[in-house]
Amino acid sequence: MSTKTRGAITRRSFLKLSGTATAAAVLGGPGPVLHALVPAEDISKQGKAQKLFSACDMCFNKCGLIARVEDGVVKKLDPNPKFLKSRGMLCARGNAGVKQLYDPDRLKYPLLRKGARGEGKWQRLTWDEALDHAAEQLQKIGDKYTRCGVLFMAGSDLQSKFVHRFAEVFGSYNVISHESNCLLSRNRAFLDTFGEVPLPDVLNCKYVIMAGANRFEALVTPDSMDMMTAMKNGAKLVVLDPRFTKTAALAYEWHPIKPGTDMAFFLAVAHVLVSEKLYDEKFVQEKTFGIEQLSQHVKQYSPEWAEKECEIPAKDIRRIARELAAAAPAAMIYPGRRTSDYENSTQIRRSFAIVNALLGNWDRPGGLITASKVGLRKPSYDPPFYEENPFERIDTGRSLMMFEEEGSFKHARDAVIEGKPYPVKGCFTYKINPMQTGANRQKTIEMIHKLDFMLTVDIAMSDTAWMADLVLPAPSYLERLDPIAGLQGASAGTCLVTRDPVVPALFESKPVFWIVTELAKRLELGEYFNFTMEEYRKEQLKDLPDAMDVLKKDGVLNRPGKLYGVYEGKAFKTLSKKIELYNKRYPALGIDPMPVYSPPAKVPRGRFRIVVGRNAYITQGSSTNNALLHELVPENTLWVHPKPAGKLGIGHNDMVKVKSSVGAEKLKARLTKEIREDTVYMDTGFGVLSKGLSNVHGMGACIAAILEDHNDEISGNMAMHETMVTVQKV
Amino acid sequence: MKESKPRKYAIVIDTFKCFDCKACMVACKVENEVPVGFWRNWVKHNGRAGGRRTQFQPGQCMQCDEPSCVEACPVGATYKQNDGLVVIDPLKCIACGNCVTACPYGARYRNPIRHVADKCDFCEHRLRRGEEPACVETCPTKARVFGDLNDPASEVSKLMNKEKLVQVINPLINTNPSIYYLEGTSLLEWPVEPTLPGNVHMPPSFWKRR
Repeated sequence: MSTKTRGAITRRSFLKLSGTATAAAVLGGPGPVLHALVPAEDISKQGKAQKLFSACDMCFNKCGLIARVEDGVVKKLDPNPKFLKSRGMLCARGNAGVKQLYDPDRLKYPLLRKGARGEGKWQRLTWDEALDHAAEQLQKIGDKYTRCGVLFMAGSDLQSKFVHRFAEVFGSYNVISHESNCLLSRNRAFLDTFGEVPLPDVLNCKYVIMAGANRFEALVTPDSMDMMTAMKNGAKLVVLDPRFTKTAALAYEWHPIKPGTDMAFFLAVAHVLVSEKLYDEKFVQEKTFGIEQLSQHVKQYSPEWAEKECEIPAKDIRRIARELAAAAPAAMIYPGRRTSDYENSTQIRRSFAIVNALLGNWDRPGGLITASKVGLRKPSYDPPFYEENPFERIDTGRSLMMFEEEGSFKHARDAVIEGKPYPVKGCFTYKINPMQTGANRQKTIEMIHKLDFMLTVDIAMSDTAWMADLVLPAPSYLERLDPIAGLQGASAGTCLVTRDPVVPALFESKPVFWIVTELAKRLELGEYFNFTMEEYRKEQLKDLPDAMDVLKKDGVLNRPGKLYGVYEGKAFKTLSKKIELYNKRYPALGIDPMPVYSPPAKVPRGRFRIVVGRNAYITQGSSTNNALLHELVPENTLWVHPKPAGKLGIGHNDMVKVKSSVGAEKLKARLTKEIREDTVYMDTGFGVLSKGLSNVHGMGACIAAILEDHNDEISGNMAMHETMVTVQKV
Repeated sequence: MKESKPRKYAIVIDTFKCFDCKACMVACKVENEVPVGFWRNWVKHNGRAGGRRTQFQPGQCMQCDEPSCVEACPVGATYKQNDGLVVIDPLKCIACGNCVTACPYGARYRNPIRHVADKCDFCEHRLRRGEEPACVETCPTKARVFGDLNDPASEVSKLMNKEKLVQVINPLINTNPSIYYLEGTSLLEWPVEPTLPGNVHMPPSFWKRR
């Protein structure tokens, strides 16, 4: 090609043009190649740049954003500065949202499995074919095994409520959320102490202990940002974690606690608070139940005793307890979020809750505050009654106090495999990926093999979709019309958010609301989905007539409300109507009314305890394939302390095999002193089986393939830190 | 763009607030279509530092007042504007790479797609739209503060008056950067000596003018 023939175009500008055209596929941002993905009519419709509101969906936080759309293409996502809960920010994942929208790996049309499960052979279907097939299968299973023979699983999503509604009118109460692989132990513990699950007012706190919570990597809004602001204002952060996380790195104190012994630490803190009369006496007398029993109970748990368990010096425990008391009530044990770690996680978190109660931080600035109502209406309906249905959920009775509305993935999976108490032969999953997040992947595969029919709705070919019989493509959050949602933002107050599409849905993708509406029609349940999303939103906002205007104008409706003193004169929603240091309901269920310490299982010689987590660039299994985030974290590694690694002949970056009683995976070792010698760590979200995730396939190892499926005995939450592994150089 | 009163753009960074979330890096990458393998900005850290709190130090092109990159450019493609920004004219740039090694901060790279030198320009195109640089706006803790030092009401001017600020400077040569850090930031020693490619010394004229 000669530049001469191009007349006035200089060599430089020509190179620039041709370079852009040929290499756009590797651009970090949405380059011209995207025009190949965007239908021509969508491009021609809009001649100029637009700024459109939406709410992020790269994790569960739902931060407000403003999309800059040029010629029908989303060029950039910026934070919505008016969004108080997010403190006007958009994190790395939020910024990478453009690559979820414009991802060549997206599911484009309905796919029917042709080969064996997980073989990756698919046949393209039309939507009509796909929906007819799905309705027929659901009907067949319902007729043969009762309607409860279909298990529904829906992740955290604004449209998941329509999957729940569909499940209910279809007739199955076997509905499971993601939460039993996440936070239910915390919820159970705080609910059983305070009568509700509080929000931490991190912003106004002067002294925060984070035990196992990694807020500067596993971002929670507004807690993550507020923690930094509080520290800037002089707050002290103490981190207990077997791993030197970024939260530990930024704390004033980091104690590499022995995994599974947090309860020993907090019982000892309670011991100091009680024995030295450092607790808020007036508060405890007025508002709590069981201080006498607790005082007796914690006598045995001195800091000197705790030191032997948790390996934190007694003098530090004593000092920390005194410092906490001095800062109270603007002092807290941060409740945490993912608490799917030990078999006694509810009781571990109960010890957190009890120390909070002793500090008297309830309903006060810098303490634990309560969620307030956002005023959204919940459109109601009368689901049909199916006489032939069994009486209970399949996962009932396997844990002492399971949350019926969330279920337990672990128990439900066991029940499906055993076929007890009754057979479940169908499964409908939406935006949930238990193949990556549910410990003991082999069992998940076993469960799937028990099914006659599995339907998955998702944006990309997740490992769970990879195992399904029918895969239906959903649009990303930037292409959707969603219901209104209320969010709780601790000291930022509550807010309302929604999403309107910023660009039309790509390919043949259809929102799950449309999918269940179409299925309902085919199953003679159309009357339960005889509304549009606009009508649904109108119903939600019936008591908030001006809300839609504000949402359109600002992209968010902030409702600051009253934050403190809300409980003045109010009874707590517990049996004693007080904060229960001593839980009155537990003894009848055979549960210790106050947390009784039992040491974690000993790590056998030559083995390690494996712990899992994530960093700020990944959301479990859903974002590691994102091109922009993949560049930041191409694979996970196994964190091993150099001392045991040396004994095993393992060098930095060596490939190692990690083996537990349920499986083995290979990945690179990262030799680091940022972890205890008896513990190894890896990130979630890698080692995928799906070849439909082209960036991350074959990279790193999958936590679910290694972790044994222990569970919290009380809540049925998964217990992911109870697995011992061997590590071997490959 | 004619300005009646010239601006002097600057960024003040509070290293204390950064928790290394890399939102700034991804925001920049998307906004400026930075190719895979390259970055216009970064977050450095000082490791475990003997049990003390770790510091994460964000950075990018420092928009120096006496830029070594401008000295090193043989064709005048890179130059300092009167608003303080150091910019690159892609039509003039011959992608020789002189400016890449001449930058004490490693802020430049050769864009393999566009075949020009590239670096942070405080998102000049966003400034023209009345927006802040992408890295500044997206930051969860607002560790970066952007503004006009010639405007006494701007946040950066206020910080300049109120706080003790430091600059990250190569000990041999002060290029007068326009990025300031709140006092207490560690990692002050990392800038390298400007050279031409092949470790060739910058011309004597460059050193003499200091």
